[in-house]
Amino acid sequence: MKEMASAPNIERLYDDHAPALFAFLLNLLRNEADTQDIMQELFIKLARRPALLENVRDERGFLLRLGHNLAIDLMRRRGTRDRNYDQLAREPMVLFAKSPDPDEQTFREKLAEALGELPADQRAVVHLKLWEKLTFEAIAGTLEIPPNTAASRYRYGLDKLRERLRPIYDEIQ
Amino acid sequence: MNSEFENHLQRQPMREVPPHWRARIVAAAQPSPARWREWFQPWPQAWAALGAAWVVICVLHFTTPDEPRLAGNFQPLTPQSFALLQEQTMTMAQLLGATDAGEKPAALPAEPKPRSEMARRQLIG
Repeated sequence: MKEMASAPNIERLYDDHAPALFAFLLNLLRNEADTQDIMQELFIKLARRPALLENVRDERGFLLRLGHNLAIDLMRRRGTRDRNYDQLAREPMVLFAKSPDPDEQTFREKLAEALGELPADQRAVVHLKLWEKLTFEAIAGTLEIPPNTAASRYRYGLDKLRERLRPIYDEIQ
Repeated sequence: MNSEFENHLQRQPMREVPPHWRARIVAAAQPSPARWREWFQPWPQAWAALGAAWVVICVLHFTTPDEPRLAGNFQPLTPQSFALLQEQTMTMAQLLGATDAGEKPAALPAEPKPRSEMARRQLIG
């Protein structure tokens, strides 16, 4: 007889993974309300289907993949309906914590803008590599793409960021 | 190996999750009571009364005969009662003096014709 999976501890899962999910989804969706919707949908899904977390070894990787899939679904739904995500991504938004140093604060704002100019698939890889410190193998598993694709998307994305941010980066160095 | 530029990007801290999200998301994800409870819990007495009314309606429905009482008690006329009815009709006609006035007694049954006789026999059973 198949045993029923025990209910996951949602509070513990939230405390452990919400900051990473929030940063990843906000960078991907570029919209705070949508980010909240996806995070809520994700945790509701975990609560209703405890079996999802059974035999999961890398909890963070699994949740990032789940969040990424939900975000992609949302972008597809909205993209065909009422919102152009590429345009929305270019709108200024607060992605990074505020810095007391004005130069650093300007750099963060420019970095957020530059990230918004990347295509969403490159932005996802760049985010996971730089701020989640995942390997290309792990990124490939999270985004369900080949590792070589993850590596090339990262290189393209990073080159664009470097080019876009060079003036201000050279200035603050 | 990361370049200095990559290291600099990595050092930029992301925004924190708005603190009020936690309570909202955790509450939304908590298992909720069954849907039927959400419906029935606010007005238990009203739902109980409605249920009792339906029980009464069902009991009445199944214990009451389908046909009206008069139709249910209908018995076909026996030959004796038919003769008695004829006799009463004739007596009534005589009492009213219809024959004295030279009129035919209206209530007297007409001479049965073949088809009507058949129908009457069926009725008499």
